[in-house]
Amino acid sequence: MAIDKPCSKSDKKINEEAPCILACPIRQDARDYVQLIARGRFSEAYRLVRERNPLPSACGRICTHPCETKCRRNSTESPIAIAWLKRFLGDNFSEETRKNFTEKHPEKIAIIGAGPAGLAAANDLALLGYSCTIFESNPTPGGMLRMGVPTYRLPRTAIDNDVEFIKKLGVEIKYNTTLGTDVTFDSLKKDGFSAIFISVGLLESRTLNIEGVSLEGALKGVSFLHEVNTTGNAKIGKNVLVIGGGAVAMDCARTALRLKPDKVSVACLESRKEMPTTDFEIEETIHEGAILYNSVGPKRILGKNGRVTGLETLKVKYVFDEQKRFNPAFYEGSESVIEADTIILAIGQASNLSFLKGQEGIQVTRGGTIIVNPNTFSTSVQGIYAGGDIVLGRGTMTEGMAQGKKAAIAIHNTLRNKALQDEKWSEKPVVPDIVESRVPLIKKEQKHDMPTMPSDKRLDNFEEVELGFSLNTAVKEAQRCMNCGAGAFVDDNLCVGCLTCVRVCPFEVPKIKKGDTTAYIDGDCQSCGLCIVECPAKAISFKTPLEDRGKNTLEAVFQEKFIQDVKPMIINFYCQYSAYNGDKIDTVHNALFSNIRRVGVLGLGKVDPSLYLKAFELGARGVLVTACKDDTCHFCNEREWIERRTKYTAQLLRGLGMDIKRFQTHFVSSQNGKEIIDLTFKMVEDLRDV
Amino acid sequence: MIVASSKPFQEIKQMLSGFKKVCVLGCGSCVTICHTGGEKQVTEIAAQIRLSAKLEGRQVEVIEDSTLRQCEWEFIDDIKEIIKDCDAILSIACGVGVQYMAERFPKIRIFPGVNTTFMGGPTEQGVFWERCAGCGNCILATTGGLCPVSRCAKSLMNGPCGGSKNGKCEVSQETPCVWNQIYDQLNTQQLLATMETIVPPKDWTTGMENHPRKMILEHLVMKK
Repeated sequence: MAIDKPCSKSDKKINEEAPCILACPIRQDARDYVQLIARGRFSEAYRLVRERNPLPSACGRICTHPCETKCRRNSTESPIAIAWLKRFLGDNFSEETRKNFTEKHPEKIAIIGAGPAGLAAANDLALLGYSCTIFESNPTPGGMLRMGVPTYRLPRTAIDNDVEFIKKLGVEIKYNTTLGTDVTFDSLKKDGFSAIFISVGLLESRTLNIEGVSLEGALKGVSFLHEVNTTGNAKIGKNVLVIGGGAVAMDCARTALRLKPDKVSVACLESRKEMPTTDFEIEETIHEGAILYNSVGPKRILGKNGRVTGLETLKVKYVFDEQKRFNPAFYEGSESVIEADTIILAIGQASNLSFLKGQEGIQVTRGGTIIVNPNTFSTSVQGIYAGGDIVLGRGTMTEGMAQGKKAAIAIHNTLRNKALQDEKWSEKPVVPDIVESRVPLIKKEQKHDMPTMPSDKRLDNFEEVELGFSLNTAVKEAQRCMNCGAGAFVDDNLCVGCLTCVRVCPFEVPKIKKGDTTAYIDGDCQSCGLCIVECPAKAISFKTPLEDRGKNTLEAVFQEKFIQDVKPMIINFYCQYSAYNGDKIDTVHNALFSNIRRVGVLGLGKVDPSLYLKAFELGARGVLVTACKDDTCHFCNEREWIERRTKYTAQLLRGLGMDIKRFQTHFVSSQNGKEIIDLTFKMVEDLRDV
Repeated sequence: MIVASSKPFQEIKQMLSGFKKVCVLGCGSCVTICHTGGEKQVTEIAAQIRLSAKLEGRQVEVIEDSTLRQCEWEFIDDIKEIIKDCDAILSIACGVGVQYMAERFPKIRIFPGVNTTFMGGPTEQGVFWERCAGCGNCILATTGGLCPVSRCAKSLMNGPCGGSKNGKCEVSQETPCVWNQIYDQLNTQQLLATMETIVPPKDWTTGMENHPRKMILEHLVMKK
């Protein structure tokens, strides 16, 4: 992790993990990178993502984001755009990861296939100290990301940027090298590879056992996408019908639309709700002009003179039987025809195991996947491992990466006879859903839309449709995050059971349970920090290591080399929730550089009056607190608390005989506009009179 | 619990003037709960002391600490090492804690940082009321659980004085007349007849008239 250990007094209540993290196959630190973005700490956020995820730019675009499905913001309005925020980092930041090679090991590892699983395995094995070579049959890296995913969803530069990082770790990629043809298991062993990791993916399209599949104009989805992605074109007719309801089917339809036929339709067994892809993908496909036929099953492909003329369909009774197994049933006599001159079958992928010829010792399933020990990732032949889609049968990009990452540890453990564990995958209880009665207390903040290319311009090219978040949008989106599982916690050894936290919490979270003598703060904590400041015993802290409540930033200011040149040296404590409302935050920082230094805190309710005193103690001539106006306050009602604390701090300063012009609080709508500049210059004037 | 209020900082400053190394010592029980003597106040007062010295160009070292209870020898013994080089200690415990410190550390000057005010409790967040005067002879059984000794300005024993008006005390319009409250309470409990019993003059020798009071639990006293 790029961030230090939690600054907690007691770890015993830090036991629940955020659902976004637990939902992710690679256990990406979603909450923490989102929280770093919310604080404007972009480089750290990028590093944090990259340390866990070898393909952040690609992942931020095409991940099916189970994190968002599980996001607790679903209870209040809509989930945080976690994937798009990752993409924002991948697109705009680039920094070497901090991880250093601890040890170098002599073994060489061969990885077959530069798809998500292979790249992830190579990345992690390289970080563990092994020299890795990836053998890739294509001339470029990415596997299905490159051959399958269309460029309008995933520009190739995104893959290349990610792979560049992996190469920097010392990973070598040998392109145009196919296992079974250019290299064999034996030749690899002869070349000194101690372990071989097979991550070749599923290269073939699954086909249907119906009449007409071999007619001219009946295409396979994977081959179609491969052709367009490598040549920029494919031979299709004027009326294209895609069979399938998953992500690949949507990719086929949207790709076909860009080849400008008269009509593109999609027919699938599933109802709209059952379709195995994200709503967003389906909506975009329809939005771009495809016609969707739900709940229809293919009976036969019709043809004339050896060419496809349409698809005869049956109405679907159900797709899944009572045991929830895929077992579609149809209404008899419900035949109808969808006319088409091109039919693309996108009903799943299948493996091509030709590379296993002569390696009969490697056990495979009837479905054509390789059998491995789920803990060691070892196939039935010693020294040969496998992972990714070739083992899973069908998986997402992150599931593939997870396989690669887990296999890397397993290979390391086998080679070194170690028992290394990645604690991120350990079993942890999840932060439960938000208590229903609490939902109305949490401010509704709608998810930010992804800016997209206008639909009338999309179909002329293969340019990326989603344009990415701007910096301000990314921060505002990240600031919606509720920081689940990383809020406040009570140290039982210090709590005196005074009930202050119970009384001051605007979200009614802290409780003293019957029979307990100390307070307990559960996972619904919104991280406003009011209880932390008000606790007379200083028994409450944040679990998150990201939250110092302004202390470290303030101290860092006074470590600056020429800090004595800042005159009259005003410290501006500002709320970061309204710091990205207007211009770039740097503009204001720079405009006021000779007068003030700024200490941003995500919600000023977290700031202790003693920190304002500390600012004076360290040498500030004035302290300017700029809080959010009521309508912009993320926590809804912090104004009252800020006002109270202003009064209280003024009282403490008066006790010292200080002029209270030196301590001012204002409520502003933006922390980076003219308002702040004017307030600062006004305070500079005020301080002249003091 | 014992309720204490903060002393004005100027008074604290005056007490501590001339001392170079000062310990601000909080107490982790009653005064923490009433927000005047806990860890949070230790931080604030220490910051005030440092800032005050800085404004006047003086040097002062301030140590911050807190004990579980300053009215226990064992707990205050724990800070022996921490305070050994201090010239003065500002104890923000109640008067009991301050005296315990003074007795235990006779060579160090001990100053009170709060004014110990009364025995009471919070009626809402940030509001504390007196509830007991420690008279040593509790009569709450006959007054519906409301204490006229601590809550009546005159500690009357046989009903309100002529200054009770609209349920308020003539001393302050903020203060409810406790005898009015006692009447309402006994009425609710259908015990108004109790009020007809004349209470003879109270024996104040069990209370504040008989300092210092002492209590011995023979069954717990350990042989020396």
